[in-house]
Amino acid sequence: MTPFVQATPFHVRAAGANRDNAWVTRNGFTLSRVYDDTSEEALSARMRAGVGDISWRWRTMIEGPRAGEFLARLLTGDPMKLEPGASMKALWLSDGGGVRGACALARFGRESFQIVAALEDRDWIAQAASAFSLVPREIESEGGLAILGPYARAALTAAGLEADLEPLAFRKLFWRGLDVTLSRWGEHGGYELWCKDDDGIAVWDRLMRAGAAFGIAPVGLAALDLLDIEAGVARPGRDYMPVREGFAKDPSPLALGLERLVDDNYKSFNGREAWLRSRLVEKRRLVGIAFDGDVPASFTPLLRDGRRVGHTLTSAYSPALRHAVALAQVEVSAVPGDTKLTLTLPPSRDLPELRMADVQVSGLPFLRAPEQIAP
Amino acid sequence: MSARSFDAVVIGGGVSGLACASYLAKAKKRVLLLEARNALGGLCEHIVLGEGFTAPVGAHVLTALDPRVVRELKLAKHGLKFAQRDMALVGLGDRPVTIVRDVPDTVRHIAAHSAADAAVWPRYRNELFSLARTLRPFWWEAKSPRPLPGAALEALERFERLSAAAWLDSWFESDALKATLAFDAGSASFEPGSALQLVWRAAQEMSGLQGAVSWPRGGPAALVAALTGAAKKLGVEIQTGARVARIVLHEEQANGVELASGETIAAPLVFSSLSRRRTLCELAPGGAAGFDALSALPKRGALGEATVLLALKALPNADETSRFVVADRLEAYAAAASAARAGRLPDELVFEFVTPPGLAPPGQHVLSARVRPVPAAMDDEMKTKLGAKLVSALETHKSGLSKQIAAVEVLSPDDIATRYGYNEETDMLADWTTRLMTPIPCLLLCGAEPVAAVSGRAGRIAAALALGAKR
Repeated sequence: MTPFVQATPFHVRAAGANRDNAWVTRNGFTLSRVYDDTSEEALSARMRAGVGDISWRWRTMIEGPRAGEFLARLLTGDPMKLEPGASMKALWLSDGGGVRGACALARFGRESFQIVAALEDRDWIAQAASAFSLVPREIESEGGLAILGPYARAALTAAGLEADLEPLAFRKLFWRGLDVTLSRWGEHGGYELWCKDDDGIAVWDRLMRAGAAFGIAPVGLAALDLLDIEAGVARPGRDYMPVREGFAKDPSPLALGLERLVDDNYKSFNGREAWLRSRLVEKRRLVGIAFDGDVPASFTPLLRDGRRVGHTLTSAYSPALRHAVALAQVEVSAVPGDTKLTLTLPPSRDLPELRMADVQVSGLPFLRAPEQIAP
Repeated sequence: MSARSFDAVVIGGGVSGLACASYLAKAKKRVLLLEARNALGGLCEHIVLGEGFTAPVGAHVLTALDPRVVRELKLAKHGLKFAQRDMALVGLGDRPVTIVRDVPDTVRHIAAHSAADAAVWPRYRNELFSLARTLRPFWWEAKSPRPLPGAALEALERFERLSAAAWLDSWFESDALKATLAFDAGSASFEPGSALQLVWRAAQEMSGLQGAVSWPRGGPAALVAALTGAAKKLGVEIQTGARVARIVLHEEQANGVELASGETIAAPLVFSSLSRRRTLCELAPGGAAGFDALSALPKRGALGEATVLLALKALPNADETSRFVVADRLEAYAAAASAARAGRLPDELVFEFVTPPGLAPPGQHVLSARVRPVPAAMDDEMKTKLGAKLVSALETHKSGLSKQIAAVEVLSPDDIATRYGYNEETDMLADWTTRLMTPIPCLLLCGAEPVAAVSGRAGRIAAALALGAKR
């Protein structure tokens, strides 16, 4: 049975650094929402080096003689063209073409793959895998840290890790007595370091000690989410509810800006027929909106000439851009190119009237991931 | 050698497969019919039960053969004759009750049990038969030409939730009568919706008689022989001993089959007489039907019908023209079902048996019994016990019978399912398109009847659906 809350392997250190005692639960794990100041943490992950706890990611191993065949049917890209040691990004869809999840798929060996995703879909995937006589094995006793920022590589190198990895590559390493996996599956140009539960504290301490010279700092979940918005990545459970019931069509990959994860040359994945149909009729697209002022709640309507053309998803103040940004779903026909839309903000105690604010539609991402500065 | 290619491949040489293949051939398609076993027939197969005895394994009477199949495929010309157009139904409870087609005659029989039941019998029969007549297009046509009358839809809605036991209880007071009639409602006469099975049975037509139960001369195998003759005459190529290993897809469309021998046969249309689950899970490439569709497949029930066959050296005052139901009271069905659900044999077996002519040497007989509900999975010990129990139950009605037994064969529901890919899942209210189409384009089912029965109707409709879509 899953406990109500779970502490990650880094919890002791996170608790020590968490000045405001600000916690949040994600996928059952208790995580630092903010250590000190979200803006500071987001900036350090963009300008210097930051360490975020990502042990909450759902990871499952698909292993067996038919693992490749199963994943080829499950995912929207061809896993068979991955070399062992390589990874790819893909979606998995329901029969109706709705997004059930997005993942990084890493090929560990000929018959061994790992799925890394932001939200679990364990029952459905287990059921699907059973058609191929496979039993997915969830990884439960491994922690993960994201090392972000332009000096991430330098910090890792200083800590004694060989970090010359291309994006989407990963490597198993033996790090002064610890078995770790270093990967680059994330969207923010950084690294992920995966270790056994018991090694969590040692890993944290080594990184912090080696990274001190680069201003390394722990990054809370709020800042990590902010990076997602700046990178234009819609996340399940936060920006959209993935399909959980049978044949649902929504949300479609197009409406979430995830269509680039569907390989057009790949012809045999679950939900493809429905995806081909929905691609023609889906009117909504994921865009970014930038504006000055208050951060609106999710699902705040966006108007154009008085007509509702979409709504916001997650929004936040971006310290790097110095204005508020939000992901939004809008009808594509309503926003040709650079358009201004109107955001309706609900009354607050300070400002009791309904306010209309002008917002600028912008392409995504707002900001590119920082390049690694060679050590 | 280049791969053989056909316009259509039909998997399974039972009545459904043969009918489907014949209809396709009739529409000038080049059809190959593949049967995994060495003989055609599927559930209508007869097995040898010892020297000179043969016995039907699946169906032991015909209740639902589509008259249009008989007529359109000219089965009479190919040798299908009925020895018995309508068999009497005899309930062998504490006191026997006989139900025949003739209403006054039946009323007389029932009156010996209960005057009240005798009085309502004509009304019951009339209501059942007229409801069945109005609902007939719903079960007989791919697309009902006219919408069902409102009253029929209302009745359908009511019957969806009604159990056969409750319905019979609302009409009759005699235990023997209710228990006898309830057998035709299938393995779960206490479950909601089972009353609809009674209506479905009454909506069938055998040799021109509504709701009749017939015995073809030579048994169900004679029907297979006639269908085979018709299929061959129409140009269907038949290959037995050809087990299909998998269905071949091309660009996510069914495009032929690969045999266990390794041979690939190309065909733009593939029909399967196996159940939906077996077709999509075992024959189609893994996951090709869609993961959500696969997890939505109906599960095979835990209950089923066992076959017990006895070869008898003699059977005093044999009645070859009736079928006998052994059930004292309705509660026996509920008790049997709960025992079967717990994986046990019921204390009191509920079964139907026939002793049809023409299966044994002169003077000797085959007794074919269908026991339901029983657990779907049975080990050898349980099967032996079932055989013994059945014989002792029969002994009370036909004393001395146990001394005449030359051979016994017991087949559990799972035995039959494994051997014939038998379709257990039923959805009586789905339309034919949902029932026969699969998520894989160009792959159709041709044996998925609303109620497991020998009919040929699903084959006929599957062929029509495919031909209609092609045009």
